[in-house]
Amino acid sequence: MGDTEQPEAGTGTTRTEAAAELAEIKLRQQKVIESVLVPVWYWWVMAAGMVAIGAARDSHDRVVQAITIPLAVLVMVVLTGAMIPEVRRRIQVHSATQPGAHGAAAIFGLIVLVNAATIATAASLAGHRVAHPLTIGYGAGAAVLVIAGPLVMGYCHRLMLTRARQQMKDAPNGGTP
Amino acid sequence: MNTAGFDELIHAPTRLQIVSLLAASQWADFKYIRDELGLSDSALSKQLYILESAGYVEIRKAFVGKRPRTSASLSKAGRHAFGQHVAALQRMLAKSQQDGGAKTPMKPTA
Repeated sequence: MGDTEQPEAGTGTTRTEAAAELAEIKLRQQKVIESVLVPVWYWWVMAAGMVAIGAARDSHDRVVQAITIPLAVLVMVVLTGAMIPEVRRRIQVHSATQPGAHGAAAIFGLIVLVNAATIATAASLAGHRVAHPLTIGYGAGAAVLVIAGPLVMGYCHRLMLTRARQQMKDAPNGGTP
Repeated sequence: MNTAGFDELIHAPTRLQIVSLLAASQWADFKYIRDELGLSDSALSKQLYILESAGYVEIRKAFVGKRPRTSASLSKAGRHAFGQHVAALQRMLAKSQQDGGAKTPMKPTA
């Protein structure tokens, strides 16, 4: 057993154990960050709500509109309203790790992009007298949402992970991970 | 080898998980920690008590409506100790790389 790894004096810990310990710390950081991100299914529910609103408006049926539009809006608002407090009840990411202005800008950009895709597509189709312009327009916005939503979350995830890793790198200089 | 900052209290596997989780957060709900780490209520309470006794963790109990809610956060001392512990681990690995994987124990300087 000449290859048995010796523990570091003063710690009783081998270097392999130290590496495993640091990996565990990184894993916990990652889990905390992932727990506050919006899940992929959220974007699909929001997209479905958008398409339902577009289809209802295209139907020109007041009964369909009176039922579908408030229902879709209600689902979207309740889902958003319920999800954020639920996350906040469980955990709050450390302030130094939060995505800050970059994350806020990315989310704002997503909203602008979804609205631009919806309005531009619907207006263009309506101008060309294509059938169901609002359904297709909202569909385009919904498609942008289900593609760009997870991308924005991925960006926020990377941003937070980078900040968390930077804090760990700073630990030897007196930083507090 | 500088082992200063290596913290035996944090080094214990379950406490390392708890402290790592709390270090990445401002605060965390008791149930969240329990579920994330797959611990029983009593096991988590015991570890949190140890960490709280050492001054590393602060426990907050509050009522949300009629439901009691317990949350934990890392104290300033706990965050500092964790930072020092991480630094000690990083130094161990850095030294290991410098030695090219040499497996000789080294003398502590602190």
